[in-house]
Amino acid sequence: MMAALDDLREATSVEAIKSDLLRTAYENEGSFLHKLDPRVLLLWYVVFLFVPWLFYDVTVLLGLLVFVSALAMLSRVSLFLVGLMTFTVATTLGSYAVVTVFTGDPVAAVRALIPFTLKLTIISVSSLAVFSSMGPKTLSQGLQSLGIPRQFTFLITYGYRMLPVLFEEYHDLVNSFRLRSTAPSNPGWFRWRHYTYLLKLSMRAFYPMIFNVAKRSRVTVEAMEARGFSHSLQDDASTDLRLADMKIRPLDVGFFAGSLTLVAVLAVFI
Amino acid sequence: MTAIHNSHIAVDELQFQYPGTDEYVLDGANLTIEPGEFVAVVGGNGSGKTTLCKSFNGIIPHFYEGDMQGGVSVAGHDVAESSVAELSQHVGYVFQEFDNQLVSPTVFEEVAFAPMNYGHEDYRERVHRTLDLLDLDGLEDRFVWELSGGQKHLVALAAALSLDPDILVVDEPAAQLDPINARETYEQLATLNQTHGKTIITIEHQTEFIAEYCDSVVLVEDGVVSWKRPVKDALNQITDLRAQSVHPPQVTRIAERVLDNGEQLPVTISDAATRFAEYAITDGGRLNGDSEPASEGTPVISVEDVSHSYDTLRSGTKHVLDDLSLEVYPDERVVLVGSNGAGKSTLMQLLTGLETPDSGTVTVDGTDTERVLPEELADEVVYVKQNPEEMFIDDSVRADVAHYLKDRDYTDVEQRVDGVIDFLDLEALEDRDGRLLSVGQQRRASLAIGLATNPSIVLLDEPTGSLDLASREEVGRTIDRAGERVETVVIATHDLELAASWATRVVVLDSGGIIADGHPNEVFANLDVLDRANLRPPQTVRLGTELGLKQAPLTVEAFADSLNDDASATTEGGE
Repeated sequence: MMAALDDLREATSVEAIKSDLLRTAYENEGSFLHKLDPRVLLLWYVVFLFVPWLFYDVTVLLGLLVFVSALAMLSRVSLFLVGLMTFTVATTLGSYAVVTVFTGDPVAAVRALIPFTLKLTIISVSSLAVFSSMGPKTLSQGLQSLGIPRQFTFLITYGYRMLPVLFEEYHDLVNSFRLRSTAPSNPGWFRWRHYTYLLKLSMRAFYPMIFNVAKRSRVTVEAMEARGFSHSLQDDASTDLRLADMKIRPLDVGFFAGSLTLVAVLAVFI
Repeated sequence: MTAIHNSHIAVDELQFQYPGTDEYVLDGANLTIEPGEFVAVVGGNGSGKTTLCKSFNGIIPHFYEGDMQGGVSVAGHDVAESSVAELSQHVGYVFQEFDNQLVSPTVFEEVAFAPMNYGHEDYRERVHRTLDLLDLDGLEDRFVWELSGGQKHLVALAAALSLDPDILVVDEPAAQLDPINARETYEQLATLNQTHGKTIITIEHQTEFIAEYCDSVVLVEDGVVSWKRPVKDALNQITDLRAQSVHPPQVTRIAERVLDNGEQLPVTISDAATRFAEYAITDGGRLNGDSEPASEGTPVISVEDVSHSYDTLRSGTKHVLDDLSLEVYPDERVVLVGSNGAGKSTLMQLLTGLETPDSGTVTVDGTDTERVLPEELADEVVYVKQNPEEMFIDDSVRADVAHYLKDRDYTDVEQRVDGVIDFLDLEALEDRDGRLLSVGQQRRASLAIGLATNPSIVLLDEPTGSLDLASREEVGRTIDRAGERVETVVIATHDLELAASWATRVVVLDSGGIIADGHPNEVFANLDVLDRANLRPPQTVRLGTELGLKQAPLTVEAFADSLNDDASATTEGGE
């Protein structure tokens, strides 16, 4: 029991979550979806935002869920994110049940809401699969080729570069707070007082972090300017270069057609 | 030094005023830099040296649209008429806070950033050529935040070089890097200068590097260029330099005390060694009195067989500490030295209880750190971070100093805060936001935050990092004063001059273990150990070695004294 608790604590430690998230965001080169052209993947994503709403049958929806879950597994989605999603879905359904106890039959209510929840879950899982298999470079390439301005697509790449730095800095600031605060002397049931205290500190640590980032961005902007960022906005050659290595191959077409066929099969035969 | 380009820089009566200020930062500056020169720009804080250099690539006046008069021409372009994008093809710029100028996730993308922005189809070749040039090949796919400080700086340099500019401006390379990495950067700059004919301009206040690598020195003072002189001549203008809080190299300062016939002073070790060759010096001059560390009583810190590691995405698992044991006794002044990544900061984090060891035990003041929360340990131990910004969690210095005391409901908060603020001369700064102070002031404020808790152990992480020499001396004095208030002070640093002048005990860390531990005189006499730990001994020690001493005096004063004493002896012996 103690060992299991220790394992759980280990897995939910800031360090572990941090490296899990970073792995999801950056280590996507081996995943299946990463091999696809970003434009195809984005289009596929848009299609799968709509597909679940076309069906009401729970079996079909379950089939779709199995399909996108398989893709998510192939994309090595973060366990932390999956856990978070499962938790949200379960608690949402649970809360429906609690509320409907007062208004009538909770079982019927939950059952009625299952298709709706399934649809949302399918969309969430496909979002996880798509976005965790696209690196910053492919994602911004994909968006830029669809006409999104470079100012915005650059922000994505830059965000990816800054994220680990921010994680680190945030963690350090929380630690600064801890070293200068008093932890509750009586941690209470399940250490709830202790966790409330940490939660409070974690929220307060956001403010200094934002100030530090704002201060830092000045150098970043100067440095970008000195390396031709504004120049690239009007330079077609630069845009062409940035989008040059995207290519739609048989694999892309096959994946897209295969997905649609699967949806059709589910719709017709079940 | 043979220039293969023809990019001159000519600054003519340049005046510049930042928007929203009344004073001219530059007020009639004149300067010419020829193709292929290696120039150091020196000057005190606020002298205008950075503004001057930012006019070379047009950040001044195009990015900061202040009031500019006079002219700057770079590689035939009038800066006022050309865009930053145009000028950047001739002038590469590496900023002082180089960490913030890396904008892409991986090394490849970072170096390709500029060539892709300009639409150069051969950007892949350019990236590989530049990385090869700086011996960085193999790092292409690494994430920038997983690199060491030295590697990051070289990547920033590579990114600036990827457009193959004729002129390269590097802002304070030695301030943010440990001495070994700074030397590495300078070696690369020297190659770029000599083999590839690039004009190199560094803003620098560490005169040891200037003496060794630069051809000439430009002194900027109150917005004007006071002079530009060949390096030897320049470093002999001791009065001018001191007025701008630039300190000549240690060897020059020793010579200044010893030679008084008005001849030119030596600026490098080899010069000095030749000059002092005929002086006889007594060996083994001890400095800090008692040579034995006060390793008595019960240790206040005891680290037993501690190992610690962490995982990275693309750089594997890093073993920071490996079976390390260390005991620190009351009233010791301990300096942990070692290059970046040797485990100094990790060891300090372990002492605060924020991190717990993978194996082994850490005991601080009789408490096993694994059994208590860091909040409780903070009563006794204070950790002053390397980056003072991470210590500022409130909106004024005073509020930051008071934070701990208020949170613990002390009754005499205001009184105690006044005491600490007065002790560290922070009255003038107490209402300002810590983040907006200069680095020197930030260090002082962060120390005040630490001392307010009235700790018995103070851990200082790199307290003299990224400071100019004047501020370093100020921090040195502050540390001395802090030592009067607390029982034990442990400093982690790669500043060996600080270690030489302050410590009673020096512990050398290398790849997670201790490779030497003793009085500074003994440790610094062991050049093999310093070499293994990738540390560069202070000039006094190296000069001593050149002169055949086994144990050189560690400070300028002591070294000069021993030379003075024996100068007469030599004369007697000679006759």
